[in-house]
Amino acid sequence: MTTLQLPEQFAFLQPFVATWGNLHTQDERYRKRQELAYSDLKAFHAALAPRLEEIFSYLDGFDPIALPEQEALLLRVILGLTEAAQAVEIFEQPHVPYAPFPHSVKMEWVGYRPH
Amino acid sequence: MVDISQYMTKAHDMGLVDGTVPVEYYTSPEYFQREQAMIFRRAWLMVGRVEEVGNPGDFVVRKIPTLSANVIIAHGKDGQVRAFHNSCSHRGVALVCEERGNALTFRCPYHAWLYRIDGSLNAVPSAQDFPHVDKAKNGLAPIHLDTWNGFIFLNFADTPEVSLREFLAGLDVMLDGAPFDQFPFYVQVTDEIDCNWKNLVNAFNEGYHVAILHQKTLRPAVVPQENPHLNYLDIKQFGPHSAGTVQRNFDYNPDAPVLSWVYSQMLPTSAPDQQAIAEGRAGFYEHPGINRLNIPNFGTETITIFPNISLQPLANGYLFYQFWPLSHNRMRMEVRIYSRHAPKNLREEFAMAHTLAATRDVVVEDMAMSRLQQIGLETGGKKVQNFGENEPLLRMFTRDYEAYLAGGGMLPGQDSAEAAE
Repeated sequence: MTTLQLPEQFAFLQPFVATWGNLHTQDERYRKRQELAYSDLKAFHAALAPRLEEIFSYLDGFDPIALPEQEALLLRVILGLTEAAQAVEIFEQPHVPYAPFPHSVKMEWVGYRPH
Repeated sequence: MVDISQYMTKAHDMGLVDGTVPVEYYTSPEYFQREQAMIFRRAWLMVGRVEEVGNPGDFVVRKIPTLSANVIIAHGKDGQVRAFHNSCSHRGVALVCEERGNALTFRCPYHAWLYRIDGSLNAVPSAQDFPHVDKAKNGLAPIHLDTWNGFIFLNFADTPEVSLREFLAGLDVMLDGAPFDQFPFYVQVTDEIDCNWKNLVNAFNEGYHVAILHQKTLRPAVVPQENPHLNYLDIKQFGPHSAGTVQRNFDYNPDAPVLSWVYSQMLPTSAPDQQAIAEGRAGFYEHPGINRLNIPNFGTETITIFPNISLQPLANGYLFYQFWPLSHNRMRMEVRIYSRHAPKNLREEFAMAHTLAATRDVVVEDMAMSRLQQIGLETGGKKVQNFGENEPLLRMFTRDYEAYLAGGGMLPGQDSAEAAE
């Protein structure tokens, strides 16, 4: 069995694929952020944040509604950073303080289908 | 530093001298029952926007959990928007199962009774077996509906005590033409919380907690040097509704890498679009009813529509919060982040997902604290809560809440706009 691969130039994100690559909704990413150790969130943020612009420059070349498999995987991995960044840049811990754990909320986009 | 004391409205300025509220209002099942009957079955309740049913045939189904109501809102072929209970005249089935769609008729999936989109009963299979059913009198049961500035309101009374205009009591005049329609796209956060609904109504009616509870999330962006406890300024009363001007910290310049990348792609709804403000195209900022005194470091006008709505118009969209009681100690909260348009590319999708996460985390802080508050109220050691001079809107809400429970609160024909200067 082969693991789904990222585009070659973004192989540095391969260690994060198992964690973030199979999450499809914001709530799944929110829950993953709460489950992870803070050190894991920091490592993900440190690896990815400085290269966001480079990755989006690459993704600009694709049709957003018909992403090939590898690029769709890449996007799912980096969307994990929308949650990890809250933990690292705002709270300096995985959780929102005082919130129940695990915590889950319903999040809907009306009239747009997010990745 | 700017002196903002001239803009600060304290509770005694508004004649609100009672600084305590009984804990019982927040913990008693009897009070919840009175709220259902005396507030939610009497007041006009905001349930959505006309853009959600923009074309003839468009419909949405809305749950009003406080009243166990299930409502179809439909745009008729004649252009009129109507509301009906979602219940077949035959044996009561909630016949419309989609959350939204476009249709010319509604067909009950049980026995195929057929209704037109204006609610009238069109066809009954084997009609000869229902000689006692007059089709003209057996349409879907209507609910009073009216709109203001694109917002749809329902009234569940048999006969509303006042019109929507009278209910809004001058708030509608102040915000007449405010450009909510320029921001049609939204993402929504919904959660149910173990607390009384008024805990969260109150949280959105004072800025006192922002520097403490939201110290890592909102404080850097919102609390300006000259207003460290974020007092709401220039508070206006319109019957039981209110508006207060809230500042923002314009020295805030995020330097965290992901947050600043997001700002460079698509400004969060809550962040001021400095260029748009300078060029006079910042949506709400140009409206004369919003920050009418031109208070420096303006952030938002926080607008409370009794009983359960908070609106925050911003330079770049607006935030909508709604609080539905489910019982005396459980509630449902709906948050919508409205912006100009859906993401146009993957960069904007990432930015909006980040804004969604960031806004949700602020709201989660409020929800978490309201839950802890409920635990503390229910343990039984305290008979009252204390509302400060810097929490005038909490005292005002309590005053009008008590008036509604006593059978009053609405004044037909009277324009009760009384700005607290």
